[in-house]
Amino acid sequence: MGAITDIFPKTEFLILGIPVRDSIVHSWIITMILLAGAAWARKRLRTWEPRPWQLAIEYFYAYVIGLTRDYGGRALPEVIPLIATMLAYIAIANLLGMVPMLQAPTRDINVSAALSVVTLGSVWYFGIKERGAVRYLRQFINPLSLVSEVSRTLSMALRLFGNIMAGELIVATVFALVPPVAPILFNALTMITSVIQALVFAVLTLVFIVNATGVQSPS
Amino acid sequence: MQSEQLLQFSVVTTIVVGVSIVLGTITAALMEGRAVAKAFDDMARQPSVADQIRGLLFVVLAILESTAIYVLLICLILLFANPFANVFGL
Repeated sequence: MGAITDIFPKTEFLILGIPVRDSIVHSWIITMILLAGAAWARKRLRTWEPRPWQLAIEYFYAYVIGLTRDYGGRALPEVIPLIATMLAYIAIANLLGMVPMLQAPTRDINVSAALSVVTLGSVWYFGIKERGAVRYLRQFINPLSLVSEVSRTLSMALRLFGNIMAGELIVATVFALVPPVAPILFNALTMITSVIQALVFAVLTLVFIVNATGVQSPS
Repeated sequence: MQSEQLLQFSVVTTIVVGVSIVLGTITAALMEGRAVAKAFDDMARQPSVADQIRGLLFVVLAILESTAIYVLLICLILLFANPFANVFGL
């Protein structure tokens, strides 16, 4: 099992005596890609003759707005940047495993747990902002709501981590057993599940926020 | 005596992992099939909402899939990071 353990996250270097994992380094890479891309694209957007990359960005943004309309009943303008960032970040993070020298940071349980804690925090933030602190916190008198909050957060983290880690393990195991052509099929499957899991994470965040703010769909 | 206990531990772990994976995947696949069958029926009955149904279908399938992933996670932990393995010095 010498080569299979290469997929597990390992400590890369130390900063001031604190061990830093390679998944953190890859997360920085994704952050830099998104920030640099946004900064570069910002000055080059135009309304006449848009270039293909601008159309792609607009399509993605319109898709997120469509998601919030479908699941929220109305377009919630504060939530859209959060959902769009989560979708883009997690999709790029999961697909980073396809690049030869890099690994997906979400195969580390800590990265998935951090993302789902962000979801939990944003649910509380939007719930308190919309309904006021007392009314929102009063629902936690029932201990079952507290359990459901914890279990929803845990299941989101485990779902993302399990999908990506299981994909990596399958590819590594098949690669150790069979000549190099067979893992290409599993890599294709990994690409599909990466994007779908990113979408599921973003949609679940949106649904939890909509539940917390108590938005009623106009019907 | 030590190696006999180690053999027993390994065999029981392997059998349990095999049985639980089988049960986990069968349940997940059956329930996903039922969801997809119902979704297809309703998409054919009302083509105007077919896009909405398709959007929700993928999300629901991923959520159902995640229960099978939980089973897989526990089996991976039992195989690769077994907390009782250091009893035998593994």
